Amino acid sequence: MNNNVQIFTGCNPTWCPGCGNHSIIGGLKSSLVQLNLTPSDIRIVFGIGCSGNMNDFLNAYAVHSLHGRAIPTGIGIKLAQHKAPVIVIAGDGDCYGEGGNHFMHACRGNHDIKVFIHNNGVYGLTTGQASPTAQHGYVSKSTPKGIIEQPLNPLSLAITQGATFVAQTFTGDVDHMASIFGRAIHHRGFSLVNILQPCVTFNKINTFAYYQKNSYKIPSSYDAKNYEMSLKMASELNSFKFPLGVVYETERPTYTDQISHLKTKELVCRKPYAGYGELMKEFL
Amino acid sequence: MDVLTWKIGGEAGFGILTTGLSFSKIAASFGYSIFDYIEYPSLIRGGHNNYEVVFSSKESGALKETIDYLVCLNKDTYELHKHRLVKGSLVIFDPKDNSSVAYEQAVPIPFQEILDRSQGSPVMKNTIALGASLALMCDDISTLFGMIEKQFSNKGKEIIEKNQYFAKQGFDYVKTHAPSKVKPIFTEKSEQEQYVLSGNDAFSLSSVIADCRLYAAYPMTPSSSVLATLASWEEKTGMVVRHSEDEIAVINTALGASFAGVRSAVGTSGGGFALMVESVSLAGITELPLVIFMAQRAGPATGMPTWTEQADLLFTVFSGHGEFPKIVLAPGDQEEMLELTGKAYNLADIYQTPVFVLSDMYLSESHASIPKKRLEAFISTYRVNRGKTVEKPSGLPHLRYKDSPDGISERLIPGYPGVFYQANSYEHSADGHTSEKGEDRVEQVQKRNRKTETYLANHFSAPKVYGDFDTADVVFVSWGSLKGVVNRAQILLAQSGKKSAHIHFTHVFPLDKEKVRKLFEAKKRYILVEQNSQAQFGQLLTMSTGVAIHEKILKFNGRPLLPEEITSYVEKINE
Repeated sequence: MNNNVQIFTGCNPTWCPGCGNHSIIGGLKSSLVQLNLTPSDIRIVFGIGCSGNMNDFLNAYAVHSLHGRAIPTGIGIKLAQHKAPVIVIAGDGDCYGEGGNHFMHACRGNHDIKVFIHNNGVYGLTTGQASPTAQHGYVSKSTPKGIIEQPLNPLSLAITQGATFVAQTFTGDVDHMASIFGRAIHHRGFSLVNILQPCVTFNKINTFAYYQKNSYKIPSSYDAKNYEMSLKMASELNSFKFPLGVVYETERPTYTDQISHLKTKELVCRKPYAGYGELMKEFL
Repeated sequence: MDVLTWKIGGEAGFGILTTGLSFSKIAASFGYSIFDYIEYPSLIRGGHNNYEVVFSSKESGALKETIDYLVCLNKDTYELHKHRLVKGSLVIFDPKDNSSVAYEQAVPIPFQEILDRSQGSPVMKNTIALGASLALMCDDISTLFGMIEKQFSNKGKEIIEKNQYFAKQGFDYVKTHAPSKVKPIFTEKSEQEQYVLSGNDAFSLSSVIADCRLYAAYPMTPSSSVLATLASWEEKTGMVVRHSEDEIAVINTALGASFAGVRSAVGTSGGGFALMVESVSLAGITELPLVIFMAQRAGPATGMPTWTEQADLLFTVFSGHGEFPKIVLAPGDQEEMLELTGKAYNLADIYQTPVFVLSDMYLSESHASIPKKRLEAFISTYRVNRGKTVEKPSGLPHLRYKDSPDGISERLIPGYPGVFYQANSYEHSADGHTSEKGEDRVEQVQKRNRKTETYLANHFSAPKVYGDFDTADVVFVSWGSLKGVVNRAQILLAQSGKKSAHIHFTHVFPLDKEKVRKLFEAKKRYILVEQNSQAQFGQLLTMSTGVAIHEKILKFNGRPLLPEEITSYVEKINE
């Protein structure tokens, strides 16, 4: 194919120099090219935050939605056009905080959407307040005495709530990201990719060096289909060890697979219904 | 016969609502125009449920003060409603429960004894009562038998026969013991069939007719039956009906589907709508079509969940941060609900903005009869109009938010090859990219605002005037579900020689200043009628047109306004 990453390139990014988002967009574009997709083939929903600002830098049929609400918007697109790949790009504050309820329930439903979370532990766009994944004691403008709560563990939350593809990657390794994104898009069902993405401007704890030191590649011998093992691996986040790769992968019918009237045609394509007469019998 | 009321009451959880609806359908099958109303506490068991059916040979769209037939399945029913009985009223009751019913009103039926004799379950008391009620009105039980057969069709022959048996027990008991109380009311079956629909049924049916393909909701009284009805039809209609985790997910899911090209709607009541409001604003700036069914109940907060009020008008009109166009329609009855729901879907597509169908408990859960011909006429004349929604761009590049004289831009359904665009919640330039430039901002704000002007010129309907405006001494002003109540009050006033007119609004927002003002220039006694405490439509009218109405009838105890309350106000208070 004559596909190349340039067809996905929109405006010039406005992210801080050195921000992990630059490599995320690079990894995403190359995974899309490898999957032979064009901007017209994909649907992307962007959340609000530094991650969501990718809306102007990446070409696609897209919605730049509200803070926290990218997942339900993506579900709506999937219900109407279930044959198109639907990707959600959002941040940790956006998806695990404001939109936490949607996240949990999207896992349950195994909605076939790919959720890529730029996880930097802070609210970058509002100048660095602590996010739900910030480490206990993290000092920020909104938590001057250190954050009281424990960090949220997105991997174990996703696995236990029914996600069928749960992975983690790191912006320090573009090739790894591209390959994980590709696998997530290829997977049928709810996919979470938790992207460890240092915020070079505000987060002085979870830096590139920090993740380089505390992360490791999941060995090829690991069986991602083993639920118990995956929970054990996911819980390593609680002791600040960060496995990189696919933590859990299983097969289960997706939400739209289980809607019998979506078996043949996409909702947007089907013929209008005209059998009102039958419905009206109820009212006689 | 002018108007009669039949009312049944008993303990919640014992089938009163089903029985009431059966009576409505039977009355409609005899050619009467019916209107019914359900009262129930926010409980599943216990408490007092009651259902009244008003039926008339003329149009009826309101309750009336007095009860002609009161069916008491327990003692409370009599105690709670006896003040509405008059000379000539009849009371069906079990003499075991009650010995205080006046002799000339009493139609005692030993419900419990009949049940015990033939091992009936407590819910079958309803069937006996329905049989007894019909015996007072007609000589033929076959209509009721047919209704029972239909109602229990999925429960098997045995249940059908058992119910028919108890219906006949009630029927025969009256024929034997109270023949002098029988009046021939249900005499001839009407040749013209009538449908009996609640406001929620009408919204549901019209949504299907309008080719709505995605309905998302989270249950909330009094909108919940729309979710249940559309879900029960899902496999036939092919609509996707989704009960999401919360109202925020509901509206964003609907907007996602709308972006992807399908007609979408959500339904809720005030509290649930409060959660959706941020995304109403999102629909405004992304210019996505959406129909929002808002069935009001008595608030604030949890308020009185199963009671009626019109107190979310201003909340709806002003919902959403920032400035964007919005259309609010408030049907006056079940038939207008059909018509305006269909219109709402077209307007949402034409104007690419949120359109509200504003209902309330009184309209949503009450049923009315609609002649088959009129319903079929609506279906055969309705046309889906998707405005500038296209599957193929008319030119390239496709500028999603291109400025235009009517404020509306072409909207491409995502998927067309070689093209892409974003629906952007940030302010944007014509191509959809985020922009904070002053000139882009002004262009887009003016473009969106212009849609309101286009709507007022092309689709706003001025209020209907009922009665003869020129000769009227009193002019009532109302909106939404009060249509039938005020119209009935006009009939009652005319009977005592008082001439009135009624200006009834269904297109409640935005209001066309010039078209509306004209109706308020006469030297008349204008009386605003609303079911809220702050005269919300009055405020909106003043804000939009400068018209101020000083005399007001406002009711806000959760109970529906009665026509007699309007007439007694008019007669008691002289200007």
